[in-house]
Amino acid sequence: MNSKKFWRYVTIIGPLLAGIIILWPTYTAYDLEREEQEAQNRAINGKDSTALATFENLHGETYRTAKLNRIKLGLDLRGGMYVMMEVAVDTLLRETAARETIDEIFDEVIKATHNEAEASSADYLDVFFANFDRIARPKGKSLISYFDVPGVQDVTDEKVKTKLRDDVNGAIDQALEVIRQRIDKFGVSEPSISKQGSRRIVLELPGVNNEKEMRQLLSTTARLEFKLVRNNADIIKALYRIDEYLARSSKKANSTVDTAIALADSTIKADSSAKVDTAKNIANASAKKGKKVAKLADAAKKGDTTKVDSTKVDSTAKTAAADSADPYKKVKDADKPKRYQQDHQLTTLLQIFPLDQEGRFISKNGEPMLLYKESQVPDLEYVIYVTSKGYAKFKELMSRTDISRIVPSDLQLLRSAKPFNVSKDGRDTTYALWCVLAAPQLTGEYITDARASSDPMSNQPVVMMEMDQEGSEKWADITGKNIKKKIAIVLDDQVYSAPVVQNKIAGGSSQITGMDSPEEARLLEIVLKAGALKAPVKIVEERLVGPSLGEDSIRRGLIASGIAFFLVILFMTMYYSTAGIVANLAVMINVLLILSIMTPVVIAGGGTLTLPGIAGIILTIGMAVDANILVFERVREELSKGRTLRAAIDEGFRRALNAILDSNTTSFMTGMILFLLGTGPVQGFALTLMIGILTTLFTAFVVSRAMIELMMASGKPVNFGQPIATAQ
Amino acid sequence: MQFFSKTNIDFLSKRTMFVWFSIVLNIIGIVAPFVLGLRFGIDFSGGSEIAIQLSKTENVSLIREAIDKANLDGAEIKSFGAANQYLIRIPATSYTKDPSQTVVDAIQKAFPSETVVMLKKDSIGPKVGEELRNKALIAVVLAIFAIGIYIAFRFEFLYGLGAAVALLHDVLVTLALVTIFSKLGIINLEINQSMIAAFLTVVGFSVHDTVIIFDRIRENREHHKGMNLISLMNLSINETLSRSVNTVMTVVLVLLTLVLLGGEVLQGFAFTMLVGIVTGTYSSIYIASAFVIWFMDKVKHSHLEEDFQKKKLKPAKV
Repeated sequence: MNSKKFWRYVTIIGPLLAGIIILWPTYTAYDLEREEQEAQNRAINGKDSTALATFENLHGETYRTAKLNRIKLGLDLRGGMYVMMEVAVDTLLRETAARETIDEIFDEVIKATHNEAEASSADYLDVFFANFDRIARPKGKSLISYFDVPGVQDVTDEKVKTKLRDDVNGAIDQALEVIRQRIDKFGVSEPSISKQGSRRIVLELPGVNNEKEMRQLLSTTARLEFKLVRNNADIIKALYRIDEYLARSSKKANSTVDTAIALADSTIKADSSAKVDTAKNIANASAKKGKKVAKLADAAKKGDTTKVDSTKVDSTAKTAAADSADPYKKVKDADKPKRYQQDHQLTTLLQIFPLDQEGRFISKNGEPMLLYKESQVPDLEYVIYVTSKGYAKFKELMSRTDISRIVPSDLQLLRSAKPFNVSKDGRDTTYALWCVLAAPQLTGEYITDARASSDPMSNQPVVMMEMDQEGSEKWADITGKNIKKKIAIVLDDQVYSAPVVQNKIAGGSSQITGMDSPEEARLLEIVLKAGALKAPVKIVEERLVGPSLGEDSIRRGLIASGIAFFLVILFMTMYYSTAGIVANLAVMINVLLILSIMTPVVIAGGGTLTLPGIAGIILTIGMAVDANILVFERVREELSKGRTLRAAIDEGFRRALNAILDSNTTSFMTGMILFLLGTGPVQGFALTLMIGILTTLFTAFVVSRAMIELMMASGKPVNFGQPIATAQ
Repeated sequence: MQFFSKTNIDFLSKRTMFVWFSIVLNIIGIVAPFVLGLRFGIDFSGGSEIAIQLSKTENVSLIREAIDKANLDGAEIKSFGAANQYLIRIPATSYTKDPSQTVVDAIQKAFPSETVVMLKKDSIGPKVGEELRNKALIAVVLAIFAIGIYIAFRFEFLYGLGAAVALLHDVLVTLALVTIFSKLGIINLEINQSMIAAFLTVVGFSVHDTVIIFDRIRENREHHKGMNLISLMNLSINETLSRSVNTVMTVVLVLLTLVLLGGEVLQGFAFTMLVGIVTGTYSSIYIASAFVIWFMDKVKHSHLEEDFQKKKLKPAKV
């Protein structure tokens, strides 16, 4: 008898105590966090420079252990950043393919794949292979036309497929590792980094508020390369060749339009001239068409002759003495710039300056060099500038396979990272354009250490790098061979600097300049240390919650829960009297249990409390009393049937159990579905809902029951708030 | 205290009227989203949403002007919680680079003397949006299906079907009301992830009532052998009425608190649940039970007014 009573006390007080003990670290941790924040503020304001040290001495250890065992708050409550990233498989494929083999067919496949994969959740590579079979194969291409598998003989399409799949899988795992290191080095407390599906990475970064910096940190590929600069006549000639190609193709397009118009003309004529004399009209029309064609031929001839003329003159002019070889002699002065622009679509986007042997500008009045065609280009070194607007157009043109093929495949045109000049109104910026050898002399894989600092001379931010043994030897070799030449330091296809090698550099140190700010230098230091990504990643989802909103949400959540709880307590006490109070106590223990289960002490890794999660707990308050209401209503019913209180209680609990089990199972199922299919905050809701259902069953049937039994045992009849008339 | 004592209301005699009423609401639920248009949150449509706070309350049109100057087409500006907080939403098609900084800069430029604070930001790629949308739809359908099967297994097939029909009814009626309220602009009701969570909770919770009534029918069938189905159902509904009303009352109390005090983020969520749960209680009486009766009558051609004893009834599987 006594032991029964003892165990009943245990079932009531046990969960209560356990809840308080388990939740204590959570309370301590958030309390100390506030204190730490205050200490930090004092230290920053200079009021108390030792504040942080004092805090560390007093609470450091407690704070850290408490933090490990507290309930994690979701980003919506704590503030922070959520980022979902995806490996850019299209870029990876393009980079894996041998550069010189990429043609229009390959581009078409990539484009089709991109469009299709963006719209579906199918595996990117599967879509690529399907599109390849559909588009490229009928044109006689196979995967081995574009891809090579190094170190494997008798390459087949199957082997290429396996390799590409390995590449993609390897890229995501490597990206995960690199990003983890970057976040680690950047110093985010309690980050969560995980892989989602086969090619996504999800990051939760509590407390992170500077999204711009974070985005840069995460999406930088950080591919560091040292490339030889080749700003010589070769590339300038190629640019003029592109001009010529573009001019020719636009002329062709024009002439097609002309013929089309002529044809249309003739058809219209043929149509409109009714039945009267069709044959005559048709004859007329074709005659007209003939005339047009003749005119075109004429024009073409004229074009040709001017060309021949100018070459004759040009071949004698070795330097850029352009005036003497003006192919636009017959063109009106006012139209000349327009004609020149039409014929030089690419080079007019740029400003090209030749340099003399000493590296000085050769330029009349600081004007850029203007030539008519390739053969006029003098064999010198050059400097190329491009405005940001011009660069956009330039990039667009150069991304066309037919155009980029004109540039020798071992050369590459890259933009400088930092603008060379910013126009006075700040609207346009000018960048330098560098031509480099596509094959890097050295890559960042040899970098062992990086350190951001500032140049003592210019006070500009700079990142110093150290290389390992192998890298140092290579670097010494490269610099030794290229004295007085320029080597571009390229990061993610942007040239940070292109210093002239003064002498052989031994010891493997080098430096990057050209950053905008010390912050950028610091980010660079981090990404260089963490290493480069094998494949570029892009951010597909980004959420940020500022700290003030989070605090506001917590405050509102607490107020709403408080009021909701109060209303429920009031109702239950009024309606069910003593039993109602029992139910209220059970609900309180219930909430305590839900929160306890959310801690890492109970669930491995701990659950995350989100704002919808708080709503879930509030809702559980409402639902938990449902279980009690069911039991109590049943007890009242049995009482009204004339049963004794004892029998009614037994019957009430027994009969209500089935209904409660069934209804809660269905709720639990929806919670499960939500948890599996939802993300972030919604998962938080599903979690509290599911835990709430379990604790509700426990508190309604075990805790409430124990309380009622204890009251019964003490000899006092429990009041279920039933009307007096029907009681007993 | 007692609201109902020994009620004996003939709920089911007026079932035809209520069923028609529900059918009308359901049709609205199906048609309204197409006619009035559902407002998808950026979770599902993709795009960017930036909540900012200014030091003073400014006219929304001035903010719109600032955003327009930044060349972000199709931006929507709404208030967000407090008067000096604004929510700016930009469709995914209007930008190539994350627009949050542009927005903050543009507003700072327009109100140079004030401090602009970014409260929160969500940027979702169109593909992710579509994935989330599909997942949400799967979740709702799966939930209704799973619950139907569970009830069919715990009770009888017909009852499971009745429960599933009632759930579908609740979802559609809630959808109708949400669409209409959203159109009226009384409350901010965008279909987003937490809204789907609300719908699913409605599904889970509204089946509670159905289960309680079905459970009582199952029990009463044993006790009152010989009673016809309609009387049996009426009896069971009357017996559980007190519980249904009290439970709904406590949940409504809680949800009303959330609607009024939960803040911008929880308001729509709580409102949807409020509508859904009240609907759920109603549908347990008039849809789930009425469907079972209708099915027995029209499909199985059993005589409802007849005594039960004559028929072989499957004993409850408990």
